[in-house]
Amino acid sequence: MSQPASLPLVESLLDAPLPISGIAWLDAARQENRAAFAASGLPDTRVEAWKYTALRALGQRRFARGDAAAASRAVDASTLKLPSADGPRLVFVNGVFRADLSALDALPAGLILQPLSQALLGDAEPLRFVLSRYYREAGDAFARINAASATDGVVLRVAAGVKISAPVQLVFVGAATDVELAWHLRNVIELGEGAELSLIEQHVSDTEPAQLATVVSDIELREGAQLHHTVLQNVAVATSLIRRSSVRLHARAHAVLHVLELGGALVRHDLRAELIGDGARFDTRGVFMPHGRQHIDTQLAIRHQALNTTSTSTWRGVANDRARGVFRGAIVVAPGADGSDASLSNKNLLLSPGAEIDTKPELEIYADEVKAAHGATVGQLDERSLFYLRSRGIPLAEARALLTAAFCRAVLDDLPNEALREHLSALLVAQLPA
Amino acid sequence: MNSSMINESNASTVLRDNAEVAEALGRSYAAGFVTEIEMTGLPPGLDEETVRQISAIKQEPEWMTEWRLDAYRHWLTMPKPDWAKLNIEPIDYQAISYYAAPKEGPKSLDEVDPALLEAYEKLGIPLHERAALAGVAVDAVFDSVSVGTTFRKQLAEAGVLFCSMSEAIREYPEIVRKYLGSVVPTGDNFFAALNSAVFSDGSFVFIPKGVRCPMELSTYFRINAQNTGQFERTLIVAEEGSHVSYLEGCTAPKRDENQLHAAVVELVALEKAQIKYSTVQNWYPGDENGVGGIYNFVTKRGDCRGDDSKISWTQVETGSAITWKYPSVVLRGDRSVGEFYSVALTHHYQQADTGTKMIHLGKYTKSKIVAKGISAGRSSNSYRGLVKMEKGAEGARNYTQCDSLLIGKKCGAHTFPYMEVKNPTAIVEHEATTSKISDDQMFYCRSRGISEEDAVSMIVDGFCKQVFRELPMEFAVEAKKLLEVSLEGAVG
Repeated sequence: MSQPASLPLVESLLDAPLPISGIAWLDAARQENRAAFAASGLPDTRVEAWKYTALRALGQRRFARGDAAAASRAVDASTLKLPSADGPRLVFVNGVFRADLSALDALPAGLILQPLSQALLGDAEPLRFVLSRYYREAGDAFARINAASATDGVVLRVAAGVKISAPVQLVFVGAATDVELAWHLRNVIELGEGAELSLIEQHVSDTEPAQLATVVSDIELREGAQLHHTVLQNVAVATSLIRRSSVRLHARAHAVLHVLELGGALVRHDLRAELIGDGARFDTRGVFMPHGRQHIDTQLAIRHQALNTTSTSTWRGVANDRARGVFRGAIVVAPGADGSDASLSNKNLLLSPGAEIDTKPELEIYADEVKAAHGATVGQLDERSLFYLRSRGIPLAEARALLTAAFCRAVLDDLPNEALREHLSALLVAQLPA
Repeated sequence: MNSSMINESNASTVLRDNAEVAEALGRSYAAGFVTEIEMTGLPPGLDEETVRQISAIKQEPEWMTEWRLDAYRHWLTMPKPDWAKLNIEPIDYQAISYYAAPKEGPKSLDEVDPALLEAYEKLGIPLHERAALAGVAVDAVFDSVSVGTTFRKQLAEAGVLFCSMSEAIREYPEIVRKYLGSVVPTGDNFFAALNSAVFSDGSFVFIPKGVRCPMELSTYFRINAQNTGQFERTLIVAEEGSHVSYLEGCTAPKRDENQLHAAVVELVALEKAQIKYSTVQNWYPGDENGVGGIYNFVTKRGDCRGDDSKISWTQVETGSAITWKYPSVVLRGDRSVGEFYSVALTHHYQQADTGTKMIHLGKYTKSKIVAKGISAGRSSNSYRGLVKMEKGAEGARNYTQCDSLLIGKKCGAHTFPYMEVKNPTAIVEHEATTSKISDDQMFYCRSRGISEEDAVSMIVDGFCKQVFRELPMEFAVEAKKLLEVSLEGAVG
């Protein structure tokens, strides 16, 4: 089912020596995942999870591992600035922690925010459960190579009952180097019982040369914890970015996720949520806007495993030029998860004859006291709305832009941080075809 | 029925429930009898020789034998599919007998073995009467050989060809050769390849240019002999401007071993032609413990080859231990229309993975999908569908609605729709819901003196109305009955 390991990409990723931490369980997990990656290589499109995302072209490329000069690469300070985000900040450049760009002074009480590389020097035991994982599924190639290779990332913990008022900013930067570079980051985020946090995750990169980045995040929300998570992915069109985020929600925990997928060459995000405690709630809002020859793939999988859990998902896609947008929204209601309420909507606009949208909402229901619904559409702007605007003297191009912007902005409507909302909206509008 | 459900009822209803349950469990599959007539057939096993023998028994021309052998050789190279959400015991293809036929070949309806006719009688299709009264021509397939064809003359006057596939291969080789395998190629999928190699019989319909078929055509399939897979092959060709409605119904007697049923149905609609294909599938579903039952792996596909043509599939699936079928339409002609209306009901340990594919190639093509799934007991019921808008599908339109109804806590209902859109002027819409029968609905019915079983069957009937409306009248009645019988013992 998979391509042979002789692909240039696989070879080049395996070329680098396995990092040694000196922690027995971690080194064993790295070894095991690396062996699995070497054995199975990259999934091809016959693997269901990769049906619409072919790795053929990417597989032919070679990326160098490790940027020795990452600590001194110049980064445009303006890319780190976000309105309303002047709290703690953690910045990584080419997969390496940058203390000089981060803001870790005066962290509020109850907040631990440090790079993984430092956390592993101390007591690594609390990270063992997450970092000793072995990835088994056929489509897990990038999670495997990430588990084998990542030496840095975010470790973020909020103590029980602590409410962090200022948003925490995580910035992942791909900076220009002489060679095409691959880098990997591993994030571990945990909110204690009743903790509250607002998190902004940014992905940016320089235009040249091409890069391949993998980012794997595990997010755990203990009982009653609340997370507001905003993701702004705006990397350069030469950067391929493969992410996996796994969110586990305990009883009455609530996560709200806003995602903007704007940049990248081949972008893939596996977003998995498990609602394992009664009354947990998971809300996602996202928009992907591939243009040019971009390929943006979002794989959302939500698993309801406890009583009275809720999930809502609203996703918009706009594909232009020769770009391709892929979306999968799978909802599973496990046996016994009575009182689950799940809804998902994915609406898409196709703006150009060369563009393509592939969408697959899925429901897998094993309990009967359940409300579950999904809807998906692919189409164009409403002719009547266009007519309405034009009849009021607005030129066609402008009317289109206006309606497309409104179509996308729907996902930002309930973002409470107003300054951030306006900023994201402006980015959306800027990406619209003129 | 299981003990946990009974435990959940309050004490006063337990006794009544138990009595009802016992009654429901005691009720046996109405079509589950075995007809004792002598069978001749090939011994179990499959190799090139088997394929040649089948072809020889059928007195087929050389090209047909070669066609089968090509399919067989291709089949050998194909991996067994494992992607559906199905729990399948591995099938031993060498343990199946690929040809079974009643020993004496009947020449007309009068010569048909009375035991056979009686069998139909028990199933509620008295061949003569039904044919005469209902105005339906029946090409009854008993295992592998067509045993009687009625109304041939009347159809012949209209120019309609309606006969068994083996007869068609002998009598109309040029038509068969032109269209057979043109919609479902021999190597299309594992089971289609197997069918192409060993198909024993099936129906052939040809409606010439401009003819409106004077009656609804119908075939009743029946699997009778033990350990025989049944591999029908149906081909319907509607020439320019013609019109036909075809009905297919299935019942199978009770068996303990799983039987394989891998049919292929091909529909070809030329310019302005219309084909309506309706199915009521009631193969033996296995008992309440999941023992026995038919494996129903069917490839059904229609090709709207001409402009302004239309193909409509309607199916009611209540039987089979495992159903795996996706009646599809390739919308090649401009402005052609594809429709799919489906009710799939699963109970006990049944598994159904069914849906449709609408492949839009032509301009301004339209498709509509309405799928209703009902799961009860410990069954699993999946809708799996694909809507594809290719680059040339200018202004194409699709609307899909999938609803699932869950009865009981141990069953599963799933929806896997795939949408692939490559044309910016096409519109695709999909909606799906999953729910159970609400307490409010039940309370409303119960407070009006309607029994629990009747209330459920009423609500289920309402849930399926959109699909039943599309069925020919007598089928609609049968379908409603079938759902009632199939759901017996599902509530308590």
